[in-house]
Amino acid sequence: MSIRIEQVTKLYQAIPVVNDVTVEIETGEFFVLLGPSGSGKSTLLRALAGLTHIDHGRMSLHGRDVTEMPARERGVGLVFQNYALFRHMTVADNIEFALRVRRLRAAERRRRRQELLQLVALEGYDERYPSQLSGGQQQRVAVARALAHEPAVLLLDEPFGALDAKIRVELRETVRAVQQRIGMTTILVTHDQEEAFALADRMGVMQMGRLLETGSPEELYRHPATRFVARFLGAANLFLGEVSDQGLRLGTAVLAPQRASVAATLGNEAVLLVRPEDIEIAARSGAPLSPPFAGGKVRALTFAGHQQYVSIELDELSGVETATADGTGVAVTVEALRSAAEQSAVALSVGTAVNLGVRRLHALPTPISSFRLLTTDVAQSAALEASPLLTQLLRSMQARVTRPRASKAHPERLDAGICVLPLEANTVAAIGAAVAHGARRLLCVPPLAALPARMLIYAGDEMRSSDLLALVSSAMRHLPVPTTAVTVQRAEASRSEVVEAQRRLLDTRADLRGAHGLDLRGERFMGDLRSWLREVAAQPEPVLIVLGLPAAPERLAEALKGELAPLFSPESRAAVLFAVEAQP
Amino acid sequence: MKIGDAARLLRRPRRQQILPGFGLTMGYTVTYLSLIVLIPLAAVVLSAYGLPLARWVSVLAAPRVLASFRLSVGASLIAALVNAVFGLLIAWVLTRYDFPGRRLLDALVDLPFALPTAVAGIALTTLYAPGGWLGRLLLPLGIKVAFTPLGVVVALSFISLPFVVRTLQPVIADLDQDLERAADTLGAGPLLVFRRVIFPALLPALITGSALAFSRALGEYGSVIFIAGNIPQVSEIVPLVIMTKLEQFQYREAAVVAVAMLLLSFAMMFMVNAAQLALQRRHLGKR
Repeated sequence: MSIRIEQVTKLYQAIPVVNDVTVEIETGEFFVLLGPSGSGKSTLLRALAGLTHIDHGRMSLHGRDVTEMPARERGVGLVFQNYALFRHMTVADNIEFALRVRRLRAAERRRRRQELLQLVALEGYDERYPSQLSGGQQQRVAVARALAHEPAVLLLDEPFGALDAKIRVELRETVRAVQQRIGMTTILVTHDQEEAFALADRMGVMQMGRLLETGSPEELYRHPATRFVARFLGAANLFLGEVSDQGLRLGTAVLAPQRASVAATLGNEAVLLVRPEDIEIAARSGAPLSPPFAGGKVRALTFAGHQQYVSIELDELSGVETATADGTGVAVTVEALRSAAEQSAVALSVGTAVNLGVRRLHALPTPISSFRLLTTDVAQSAALEASPLLTQLLRSMQARVTRPRASKAHPERLDAGICVLPLEANTVAAIGAAVAHGARRLLCVPPLAALPARMLIYAGDEMRSSDLLALVSSAMRHLPVPTTAVTVQRAEASRSEVVEAQRRLLDTRADLRGAHGLDLRGERFMGDLRSWLREVAAQPEPVLIVLGLPAAPERLAEALKGELAPLFSPESRAAVLFAVEAQP
Repeated sequence: MKIGDAARLLRRPRRQQILPGFGLTMGYTVTYLSLIVLIPLAAVVLSAYGLPLARWVSVLAAPRVLASFRLSVGASLIAALVNAVFGLLIAWVLTRYDFPGRRLLDALVDLPFALPTAVAGIALTTLYAPGGWLGRLLLPLGIKVAFTPLGVVVALSFISLPFVVRTLQPVIADLDQDLERAADTLGAGPLLVFRRVIFPALLPALITGSALAFSRALGEYGSVIFIAGNIPQVSEIVPLVIMTKLEQFQYREAAVVAVAMLLLSFAMMFMVNAAQLALQRRHLGKR
């Protein structure tokens, strides 16, 4: 393992800009950190270089712990977006800077410089000044300079950001070639997904300080775990589908998934991803070759060189529901991308009626497919929707709210998505009723609750259920707050109980990392669940607590009235995310 | 060829300006510069003109005049160098760090500008006089400040400080901190980063600032005459010599000294500009 980053957290005014990031990078690997601006990717890179101190966590390079080491001793090569060349020095002096610092002999320096200039294809430029070079050439000098002292790792901070599109692609290839030739472990930070695809052996997507997902470019593009990654890596159609015995139901069509998906075991509702190039368009008279799923009308055609973007409005009869917040209320629109061959096969113009087939689809393994408000009271549901917690979750998950339908003929299915309820003394019964009707996940928000400053996960016996872990990971990925797993231990606990509690904490962390690539901290509370809840619910700092709930009605009623009672007290500011245990 | 074409040929092609009125503003510029700068300078030269060369030499070679030049140039040089060091430090601290009272300290730098020079002179003299707060402490150590050349240096350092600080501040603020970060990751320690990366980048501004400080010090009168004591050949500066000659109605001799001072200033400006240009050539690779 060349680079090991463990639970690295960087706080800025008490808000984590890098939040418990854990990732390992193999020797010789080209790893790309991708994310929108402000996602913490550059901060993480600079922390690794030793240019910003971190508030928590460890970092090691080639097995050497560098967490406390000053930048100049870490042996990293860093390349900046604005080149950061020393303008009063020639190219030769710039490249030899690190060698001069290390007091290498002139002959040795010259040899190394020639080697590096050849590597970046700038032979003969030794005596030029940076101002006499083009942007692309300057950045190549910067790469050579960063490699001069044979660093352990090469770090590139948006290195192509300041360059023209054409030079950018050219330099990208140079960097990739250099990296492969010398087998240097490299991390590159960018907000450009095309750049990430072109360079990465493996990539990680960051948002709000969290490393959401890591994987090969194709893996992340085809099988993302979150809506954010699905949309950040390219155009995406996201639908709400249903898992049934026959396969995935999308509207009225039933489709077989390409591979067994985690979501299939999680609940009945799933978020389905269909990339525009995986939509097949057939004339209304003909049928698509791939499994058909809906009919529609062409709304817009956009020229994109050898390809064509087609925007299709689906027929209402198709019953397809979108999974994202935008475009609710109006007809569902599907984006498709057609190759030149497809364009000549089926002629389209605005208004043409078509049949759509889907070549490939992926069900996101998120248990939070949609938010269902479980209240018919207008004022109450408005207050819930306006609560900072739900607003934040909706925005960062790009999910939508559905309301219970009024008709009794169509009984509302509560096992889909996540049910949202107010958290008050008189909602105890409502929670019991929801669970009895099959609700598997509940988000309970006290009135006037602020955005949580911390997320606490109760690591009880049921913690290791995959359903609860999936819920935790979903919440962690979408809330920019520090997250802690808590075990509760009686003061007079026996030795074996202490060991058990400790193990549960470690297992929770290991499971979460293994299944979701996320990391969290552990904490132990001396007392019982009830006293812990009483303490955290009443403290001024608002928290979000994730808890398991028993499914059996009598045990549930007992828990709600007993150990969970502090949550329903009027002083409580804690929002709670309940995961109901799977029925045996 | 029509007349309009000829006019167009005469006019150099330049970028289209949004605001019109080049002719008018240029006219005012020339008139104003002539009235305020050129004509008075010319008058000085003219009033010394016509004097035979032998008189020039005898006036300038007089021991009292020579000594005053030595003191003025020497003290100004020392003041400029002292301020180059401490001005750089002050500018760095005020720009790079944030601390309570930073803005107050920043405003304090302008005080030598804003203060009437006579006030500064009196303040420094009371402070450094043998019975003054500081003078009393320094006297047992054998250091006399007031009424010695050292006093001249102190006064000149005081009044020329803002020039260095204010010239450096914007340059330090613009300095790309990634340069330091780059040097840091390349293995350079703090001293080396300063010496090899920061200082070369600040050097042009430091030279400009110090030269401004030197020029200002050279012409300073008000603050110096109180603390200097004005002992001929010991602590008498050039402006005072000119003043003395004027008071004795030796207008021509005063003009001769003034012209020498003028030439010195010109030479100074010329040297600084040449040094700037050379640095720019080297650092920015402009040909």
